[in-house]
Amino acid sequence: MNKTIDREDIIGARVAKLDAPEKVTGRTRYINDMVLPRMLRAKIFRTDRVHAKILKIDTSKAEALPGVVAVITGVDAPDGKIGVIKDNPPLKKDKVRCIRDELAAVAAETEEICDAALRLIEVEYEDLPPVFTCEDALKPGAPVIEVDRPDNIAMAQDFSAGDIAEGEKASDHIVEGKYNVHYVTHCNMGVSCCLADISVDGKVTLYSQSQYPYIMKMDLAPALGIHPGDLRIIQPPVGGAFGSKLDVYPYEPICVLLARKTGRPVKLEFSREEEFIASPTRQPVEFRIRAGMTSDGIFTFRDISTLLNNGGYTSWGATTPYVTMRTCSSHYVVPHIRYSARAVYTNNPYAGSFRGYGNVQATWMLETHVDKMAEVAGLDPLEIRLRNANQPHSMTPQGSNLGCIDLVGCIKISAEKSDFLKKWNAYSAQWDNGERYKRGIGIATSLHNAGGAKIHKSDGCGTILTMDDYARVTVMTGASDIGQGSDTVIAQIVAQELGVPLRDITVINNDTALGPWDVGVHASRTTYIAGNSAKRAALDARNQILAAAEKQSNVTADQLDLRGGHVVQADNGEVVIETGRLLRQMHFAGEDAKLVMATDYYEPPTEPEDENHMGDMSAAYSHAAHVAEIIVDTHTGEIEIEKIWSVQDVGKIINLNGLEGQIEGGIAMGIGYGLHEDLKIEKGIVQNPAFRDYHVVTAPEMPPIDMAFIETDDHEGPAGAKGIAELPTIVIAPALGNALYNATGVRIDHPPLNPEKVARAIWERSNKNDAE
Amino acid sequence: MALPQNQIPTAFEAFVNATSIDEACKALAIGDGTVVAGGTDLWVQKDEAHKTFGPRLINISNIEELARIEIGRDRIRLGARVTMSDILDNGDLGDIAPALCEAANKFASPQIRNAATIGGNVANASPAADAVVPLLCLDAKIELSKWDGKKISTRDVPADAFFSAPGQSVLAVDELITAISFEHPGTNPIARFFKSGPRPALEIAIVSLGFSARLAGGKLTNVRIALGAVGPTPVRARKTEKLLEGQRLTDDLKAAALDTLADEISPIDDVRGSAWYRQHLARTYLQEALHDAAQS
Ligand SMILES: Cc1cc2nc3c(=O)[nH]c(=O)nc-3n(C[C@H](O)[C@H](O)[C@H](O)COP(=O)(O)OP(=O)(O)OC[C@H]3O[C@@H](n4cnc5c(N)ncnc54)[C@H](O)[C@@H]3O)c2cc1C
Repeated sequence: MNKTIDREDIIGARVAKLDAPEKVTGRTRYINDMVLPRMLRAKIFRTDRVHAKILKIDTSKAEALPGVVAVITGVDAPDGKIGVIKDNPPLKKDKVRCIRDELAAVAAETEEICDAALRLIEVEYEDLPPVFTCEDALKPGAPVIEVDRPDNIAMAQDFSAGDIAEGEKASDHIVEGKYNVHYVTHCNMGVSCCLADISVDGKVTLYSQSQYPYIMKMDLAPALGIHPGDLRIIQPPVGGAFGSKLDVYPYEPICVLLARKTGRPVKLEFSREEEFIASPTRQPVEFRIRAGMTSDGIFTFRDISTLLNNGGYTSWGATTPYVTMRTCSSHYVVPHIRYSARAVYTNNPYAGSFRGYGNVQATWMLETHVDKMAEVAGLDPLEIRLRNANQPHSMTPQGSNLGCIDLVGCIKISAEKSDFLKKWNAYSAQWDNGERYKRGIGIATSLHNAGGAKIHKSDGCGTILTMDDYARVTVMTGASDIGQGSDTVIAQIVAQELGVPLRDITVINNDTALGPWDVGVHASRTTYIAGNSAKRAALDARNQILAAAEKQSNVTADQLDLRGGHVVQADNGEVVIETGRLLRQMHFAGEDAKLVMATDYYEPPTEPEDENHMGDMSAAYSHAAHVAEIIVDTHTGEIEIEKIWSVQDVGKIINLNGLEGQIEGGIAMGIGYGLHEDLKIEKGIVQNPAFRDYHVVTAPEMPPIDMAFIETDDHEGPAGAKGIAELPTIVIAPALGNALYNATGVRIDHPPLNPEKVARAIWERSNKNDAE
Repeated sequence: MALPQNQIPTAFEAFVNATSIDEACKALAIGDGTVVAGGTDLWVQKDEAHKTFGPRLINISNIEELARIEIGRDRIRLGARVTMSDILDNGDLGDIAPALCEAANKFASPQIRNAATIGGNVANASPAADAVVPLLCLDAKIELSKWDGKKISTRDVPADAFFSAPGQSVLAVDELITAISFEHPGTNPIARFFKSGPRPALEIAIVSLGFSARLAGGKLTNVRIALGAVGPTPVRARKTEKLLEGQRLTDDLKAAALDTLADEISPIDDVRGSAWYRQHLARTYLQEALHDAAQS
């Protein structure tokens, strides 16, 4: 009898990320490491004003500096603008609208010469009256930032369902609140960097950290005055992006313009200080909420209005209400909804997209508010959530079918594992016991898209799969892996279908001249969408192989399987032929010669929202619950997180390692948002552009995280998987705020809960108690 | 703020890799030197427009004489290039100068502690310098050496007379800090160091406070209180020290001490914290120190 091979399941296994060995040994080559022959370095001259008319830019001294090859200003640039509503000229020539504004750029032989040249550029301004808050910018007669928008409103979204007046009538309690969420920024370890190289016939190759290389061609080309087809985006490994590279920002067109002017490759890299000042932030939001419920704590209506400080230009920050809106309208069952958002121009820095995309802000507001409502209704935090929880396959007010969700499971399991109720009752009884250190426990949950998000006409991804004569597989995917681990997941999915070891698979991304189209890496979509496309391409290749094997053996294709690099009989695992051997036979078959190749373009069965914000734009939805237990030093205000319990509906685990990594990393980011990170902006100027004074979470602060996964087995997702990467960042912060309240009786509505704010609030509360 | 635009930082033009105090001081005597020890302040500051540096870079980290920790019966002497890790690794300092060790332990991160020197911490003259606070409580002396044309001459400056403003001190351009010394405080001193910060690593103090004293017959003596980041230099809280000196620690006295401390420091608002919070932390730390003192 022939050798036999058992079936092995690599889906759900614990697999090391394919790029890990290179990264941990320091071999990964980022753009920041790249050098091309004849390459120049470039630096941007940025303004130190926030709102001013540009009278004159004198670059003559900089141009005269030895080693400087070119200096450009707005007059050297085509008229095309960038940004979500095309309000941002890469080089400003008329007006300065915020602190980071780019007025000129230098290409020189070294970075040091660039720096010296920047100091020789002289600008004359006429200062204009600035405006920094939404409230001021909306006043009649406020300074106008963008001439085309005299009301200073960059973008507006409104949604309503049901009838608020009816909701009010049905309410026994109405709870109001105001929440202001702050500026934070991505803090990518790899600072922004690009490298432009132009061929003699004017075609542009841009090495970019872009998260959306294919659509980027369309967005970038007008700013260069070229056809999008003449742009090739190559995306070497990226040192973190988290949403910050989902738009074209001025540095990339500037770099290309310098390459064109000098006829040499040009690399432009930010300093860390620039990274803080001149990369996008998370969108700050002012929320006002009125929410009603019956005496049993059943939600009746929600009326939410938001103001977004848009800053000087419009990037994706202004679009975050699309996601904020869904949480506001659809997280928990609420019959009557009204939601409005206004993004208001100011002279502040501007926001882009950022992991969690509007939902980090929404969930902070909503989950804090739900805890307050529970207290008014006399319910505990679990009960109010369970009573109002979304149920599987229910329809949201915006017309989304939530599918196979399990919010109730998330709440129940996290509560059970953390012994939530017992602790919650005990800790809230200790507010006034005079102890310095107090414990608290808090819960929060959220809802997020987990099957893509159709914000463009297509939300698809393509795959080209080829197999060589040794059964080695090359998968060219449109999907970008910016560190999140999608290449590994794609390789696992392909390995499972083709029965080859993981190391025999090479995933190639991302070069727009090689790979098929993809919408970009965002919205927790890559495993779901690119995974489905890869799976379908692999299935196609599998069928080709099995059809050939059927011809060679007397076993029909449906009785064959691919395992361990061999074609085997499905029932007993008996080897029929080595896959590589079969592929060679197929290849060298004279007139019948055939190479195994497959292509696929997967378009999820979703629809973009219509003008009334109705539509099922994601193929799957998911929930997570986080419970945090903390110890508060009531004197210094310092919060130590003792433990976090995370329960998430993941559809189906594909790579356990990657899943845990995403949850840990997401929680670290969410803790930073909730407790420490705070990009301080005063009168439009960033006050703390350094890690010294902008505190990201460091390794010793990370608490133990107890993770549990619910596998709801999504009918559309690859192997049943859902997207998982944003929820961990979204949920943790309000759980911490709720825990602070449970520990001390102090509520802080405006994050972060930094020690000073906490100490002050506790001090004020105890002074008030003393006075009473 | 925006990027520096009008000043070009001095490029280093010459490098002296000194292997003796003599050699370093002679190089400094030329007058255009910049000393580098661990470089943990210098490399960060070299690109900052408001700082200027002498173009002759003098490396003192290979000077073996400067790396010694001498534990004498009467005096303790730390060479200027003793690092924070050296302090933590020393078997005796934990008992002799526990607050200094606590400061070293709360200093930066392991990587920085391996490089950061005590001399550099003093010379850099930051109002938030962590090691300086316990040194003030120890009445430490800063030993300064220079080449006077014929030989090395030295002078000792008390730590609390050394600093004059943020980044400024009595250190002359031709002087090298060679050692920091202090009297042996005897056995079991009361000594504490507190530093704000939710992060266990990589935190610049919003406030730091050092406290030391002896308890004799129920009364506090030799009281020393020093604070970082509440003024332009690290400071002693002399009025509070005086109030406590020779006294029994009653609840009334503790309360009076907290009020006196609040009166005698005048911290500012900045990006790291408000004046209110600095006052609040200073009180919190002194309260804790006095609480501990009463227990011991
Ligand atoms: C990430 C990071 C974290 C930090 N955390 C802390 C912290 O928690 N607490 C804290 O107090 N500091 C901290 N610092 C600051 C710094 O590490 C300390 O001040 C350190 O003690 C400086 O010592 P050094 O040997 O590195 O000095 P260097 O950088 O070599 O020198 C600093 C200055 O002193 C001068 N100098 C050095 N030695 C002598 C000498 N013997 N004689 C005369 N002049 C001299 C130099 O010319 C220079 O001006 C941190 C720095 C970094 C980069």
